[in-house]
Amino acid sequence: MTEIYLRLVDLILTPIIMLIAIMLFLRGHDLPGGGFIAGLVFASAIELTILARGAEATRARYGPWLVPLVGVGLSAAVTAGLIGIYGGGFFRSMWIEFYLGAEKVKFGTPQLFDLGVMLVVIGMAITYLSRLSETAELAIRENQREEGGQS
Amino acid sequence: MKPHRTLAFAWLAALPPAAVTVWQALQLPAIASGASLTERYGWAPALGLEMALRLDGLSLFFGLIVTGIGACIAFYTAYYFEKDARQGFFYLLLYAFMGSMLGLVWSDDLLTMFVFWEGTSITSYLLIAFKTDNKAATEGARRALIVTSVGALSMLAGMIVLGLHVGSFNISTILATPDIASAAVTPVALALIFLGAFTKSAQFPFQFWLPGAMAAPTPASAYLHSATMVKAGVFLLARLHPAFSELPMWFWTLFLVGGVTMVLGGVSAIRYTDMKALLAYATVAILGMLVMLLAFREEYAYEAFVVTVAAHALYKAPLFLSAGIVDHAMGTRDLRKLAGLARSLPVVMITVVLAALAMAGVPPTLGFLAKELVLENFYDLYEHGDLIAGGVGYVAAAVASLFMVGAILTLVWEAFFRRRPDEEGAHLHHAPAFGFVAPALLLTVLGATGALFTDAYANLLFAPAIAAISGEAIHLELKLWYGFTPVFITSLVILTLGILVFLGRGLLRRGFARTSPRLSSLVAYDAAINGVYRLANRVTTLIQGSPMAPQLSVTLLAGVAVMAYALFFTNAQTSVLLDSLEIPSIPEWLIFVLAIFGAITTVRARSRLSAIIALGVVGVTVTLFFVVFGAPDLALTQLLIEVLTVILLVLVFFRVRPDPQLASDGRTPFRLFVAFAMGFFGFAVVMVNHLSQVGESISPYFIENSLSIGKGANVVNVILVDIRGYDTMGEITVLSVAALGGYALLRSPQLHALRQRINAARRGQQPAQAQKIEGPGHD
Repeated sequence: MTEIYLRLVDLILTPIIMLIAIMLFLRGHDLPGGGFIAGLVFASAIELTILARGAEATRARYGPWLVPLVGVGLSAAVTAGLIGIYGGGFFRSMWIEFYLGAEKVKFGTPQLFDLGVMLVVIGMAITYLSRLSETAELAIRENQREEGGQS
Repeated sequence: MKPHRTLAFAWLAALPPAAVTVWQALQLPAIASGASLTERYGWAPALGLEMALRLDGLSLFFGLIVTGIGACIAFYTAYYFEKDARQGFFYLLLYAFMGSMLGLVWSDDLLTMFVFWEGTSITSYLLIAFKTDNKAATEGARRALIVTSVGALSMLAGMIVLGLHVGSFNISTILATPDIASAAVTPVALALIFLGAFTKSAQFPFQFWLPGAMAAPTPASAYLHSATMVKAGVFLLARLHPAFSELPMWFWTLFLVGGVTMVLGGVSAIRYTDMKALLAYATVAILGMLVMLLAFREEYAYEAFVVTVAAHALYKAPLFLSAGIVDHAMGTRDLRKLAGLARSLPVVMITVVLAALAMAGVPPTLGFLAKELVLENFYDLYEHGDLIAGGVGYVAAAVASLFMVGAILTLVWEAFFRRRPDEEGAHLHHAPAFGFVAPALLLTVLGATGALFTDAYANLLFAPAIAAISGEAIHLELKLWYGFTPVFITSLVILTLGILVFLGRGLLRRGFARTSPRLSSLVAYDAAINGVYRLANRVTTLIQGSPMAPQLSVTLLAGVAVMAYALFFTNAQTSVLLDSLEIPSIPEWLIFVLAIFGAITTVRARSRLSAIIALGVVGVTVTLFFVVFGAPDLALTQLLIEVLTVILLVLVFFRVRPDPQLASDGRTPFRLFVAFAMGFFGFAVVMVNHLSQVGESISPYFIENSLSIGKGANVVNVILVDIRGYDTMGEITVLSVAALGGYALLRSPQLHALRQRINAARRGQQPAQAQKIEGPGHD
């Protein structure tokens, strides 16, 4: 069965793709990347699992947290905006910068906002992909069952 | 949960609102001496939006009710939802509401107030619809939300009219503007704001949503739909009172709407055998009375207003809470099935009787004082020659009061003291713990005895509130006993007639049962809502009722029309500079040819899978363009979207079967025309857009300021998450709504049935009903 190869690919590639997504997110403010792109990459990693193992097994692996990510992301984005009120207005960006050795590190509300974007994108993409995959899977199984019954 | 654990949990839950209550109480002396606390935050300073909070006499008075009653409700809820898995969700909504309501009464800015106002509407909606599988609850919730938010939108319009005229949305500033009452825009603004206040406070003809809201869990009914949220409209009117009450329009609107609401609500309360519905109508009556009192500029009216608000909160909330306890203990709150609860629920009986005495206005309760002041106000007006306002108001207030006496007597008698229920009686499931009853008892005792020591707090609590409503500081001397004045005699007459109403309740109920149901404004509301549904249905059928292909034609032709308009009827084409057209390089030509090749393959493909893949090729070539032009972010995004789109399309086409008639229905030329028109205009708009120079480009600004403002070297990302963060916020909100829609849509019943069949088959058993379900492969 081809699924075995796909599962092998899933086993090796999914964690790597996820790491790439996280890297794209972290460097996003200064280099190509960012929340939207990272979210899409992350979602494709999960979709790879769905294709290889089926929607149900994927849900079992990631737990019930995939769809609510939309809400979590939206809340994170709004929180980033609300923190800005402290600095003088909704969405006013706030940054903390410090040196870790020679390396300059910065954290800011735009990054929190970006995280929100990423979560919303993952949640939305996975909502559609997993639901549609499930439908397709069921249809396939249904066909197999009927064919098996006829033969 | 063990009893002592519930008790500890109740204390914990009541702690936050209780702490805010204590903090507010500590501010009382300072506020009473005329000071006020103000806090302002920039919200969107560039737009002149700010979040302003102000604690003065009125906001402190209402704030104390919000958090004080709130603490009791939070305590009570621990018992009400003792074994309920959704208790946490209820608390979440309760605190969210409490925060919104507190923000509403504290706000010193019209737009800030609007935001909190809508916060209360949404939490109210979620609380009414808390039992999501109860149709009456969800329908009541939707009705409440639609009525109050239509009102709120109208109110927002009124607030904007007012704010733009004054040049500030700050409430203190608006109230201090000289001659604001005589401005030309004031009548329009006020009419719009009235609509918001009247819908929120369930005034006639919008009162119908409040009884429907009684499907909410009882703590929510007691808190939102009696003690606090429904008073938001009244609160707003009180806020605006100092500036606008001199207008005849103000007086007549409030007097008439409030008066009609008061009489209708008071008279119809006795009709209902559901304890909560009965109490809801009595609440409508009190809300009407409060609105009516705000029509006046008399000291008695102000005194009557604040004392009625306090008294009502202290007796109506316990009555609701007791109804909830009865419901909990007996499994019903229908008066027809209840009788003799005095023996089985003695503490509840004491609470209800005390609260009922206050509601009926029996001395020496706070309710008696409130009613005395209301009547005194009208009598005083009458004596000073205002025959219409005084006389009509006096009679209306007396009539509403005497029917309410009858209604509450009915409730107390039928539920607690009579021997036998009308129908088959309910039985006691389990007796309530004392902690369950304690919050109601506490409020009741405060209400029953509060009038005895008004000297201790009237000038601390009531006088500053009155000063904020009237605009002038006053000194209060409230007395319970003025001698045998006409007002006191009227009070006695009201009680006597109330007893007569109680005795004649059977007759009244039969009379009400005979009135036509068409008389209710609910009928008009339902007709309006159904009309909207029908209209939406018709429009959708017109535009999207056909199969996919014609539907797509409609959408695409609309797009063509918009683009054609942009090209030919605006001055877009005049500024086109053909000189800036560059000759593409060799790699660009190659990509170009590849894209065209992909597009042609897509159209000519025989199988859908090849069409999808060819479409993917087109997308990838576009990605290549982005790479060539040095836009890595766009290229990345485009590539990912292409990949996911191909997957999505493949998945979707598992379900959607090709329409065999599509190729042979003779409309192919038309579809070709649509496709060509769309392609041509899309191309033309992009070209004209690219070649014309309209104003200066904003790109250099972004590039220059990305690092300094946004602290990021990736300009695209800085634009997305910082400089144009609002846009992105809107976009992810749309994405979220789309995700919700997809989630709901793809849970279709058909899918569910299919899944059930598969599962049944996997377990090796036949499904209960072997219905044929459409799959893609078998025809």
